[in-house]
Amino acid sequence: MDTTQLLKGVLDLAVLAALRDEDGYGYDILRRLRSAGLDEVGDASVYGTLRRLFNGGLLNTYVVPSDEGPHRKYYALNAAGRAELQRSGKVWHDFASTMGDLLRERGTA
Amino acid sequence: MIGTEQYEITSYLYAVRAALGDLPDAIRDELLEDLPEHLAEVLAEAGGTLVERLGPPEEYAAELRASIGFVGGFPDPPPTPVPLIELRDAVLRRLRVLDVKAGPLFGYERASEFLILLRPGWWVFRGYLVAMVVAWALDDSGQPMGLLPRIGGSEVVALLLLAGAVLGSIWLGRRSFTFTERWPRWALYAGSTVLVLVAIGGFASADSSSRDSNYSDVNYDSNSGNSFGGVQDVFVYDEQGRLVTGARLFDQEGNAIQLGNPYCNDPSTGTDERSQHMGYPYCPESAPFASSSLSASATPSDKRPASASPSAAVSATPVPTPTPSPSTGR
Repeated sequence: MDTTQLLKGVLDLAVLAALRDEDGYGYDILRRLRSAGLDEVGDASVYGTLRRLFNGGLLNTYVVPSDEGPHRKYYALNAAGRAELQRSGKVWHDFASTMGDLLRERGTA
Repeated sequence: MIGTEQYEITSYLYAVRAALGDLPDAIRDELLEDLPEHLAEVLAEAGGTLVERLGPPEEYAAELRASIGFVGGFPDPPPTPVPLIELRDAVLRRLRVLDVKAGPLFGYERASEFLILLRPGWWVFRGYLVAMVVAWALDDSGQPMGLLPRIGGSEVVALLLLAGAVLGSIWLGRRSFTFTERWPRWALYAGSTVLVLVAIGGFASADSSSRDSNYSDVNYDSNSGNSFGGVQDVFVYDEQGRLVTGARLFDQEGNAIQLGNPYCNDPSTGTDERSQHMGYPYCPESAPFASSSLSASATPSDKRPASASPSAAVSATPVPTPTPSPSTGR
């Protein structure tokens, strides 16, 4: 099993979490995820996920002009996004603790 | 600098789009909607080209595809390499690059942006071609059609047919954007191809007939062309049935009429040699009817050049007389 497979299931949650404290633009969010330890995340995954979350009504966007370089499109959690982060976060914690228990019982961890 | 960045983004974007070619248009467009801006953001971060930072566009597209969950329910269809489709995709990729490269020639970002502007012009022209084809199919008058879609030689019918076909073609052109299914599109493409071939053929024949007008525009054309096309020499007989030599032909304007070729085949050697005679016939030896004067009298006729025949033949040799019209003709 590699992290890429696992990541697919939780990328939505990871991106929502990366936006919890601070708004960010695409590449910025990618950097946050990588510095948090998710080295295998690709730019396309983050871009695609942002698009999907935005279309799902979980994110707001706004454009910030930049003196040097192109304008940047910032993403921000809206109320629905925060609610989804909370809900998915709980699902994840339950799932992770179940997996933790399972692995402990079998003595592999 | 901006230009090269823009170019890099555009080509990367094209490649990603091509790799997602199998997705429904709506999904793909929505997915790629923000990508140009996003790629510009990426490029603005320090270090390297897009390919260096993001990997090959095909991989980027695959990751993108995975991230949208479009293939979530069922496994990816196995990549069956269909040579024809691969070839088509390769050609399309090249064309897209060419499209971008040729754009500045027309003053646009892409050459296709310029070509799209010409589309209504094509609709009008297509209407004309359809009218010509319809007229050609319906017309059985045997008269030449000319450049208008005449049926039975009627200009009125031609103009009505032309107007109807052009309007119909424009209507179809505006509607063709709504063709979502395959077969109407393909039928349209096939029809257009046929019309383009018709246009090329029609252009070629109109071009050649206008170039040859010096020889063939004699108004005796049957629908298959000039009935004088096979004429090689002209033999004039006077009222006594004597062959006239050195005859010259003129039209009502006083212009000399040229027919045939001034070359004679010498039966003894079998070679063609340039005629030594002024006027017609070029080759008196090949006269189709024996001249009655040959046996009856000594009137010079078929054996001598016109310039040397002083007597009876001269009266029938209308060199100066039929040119009275410089005053009236022009």
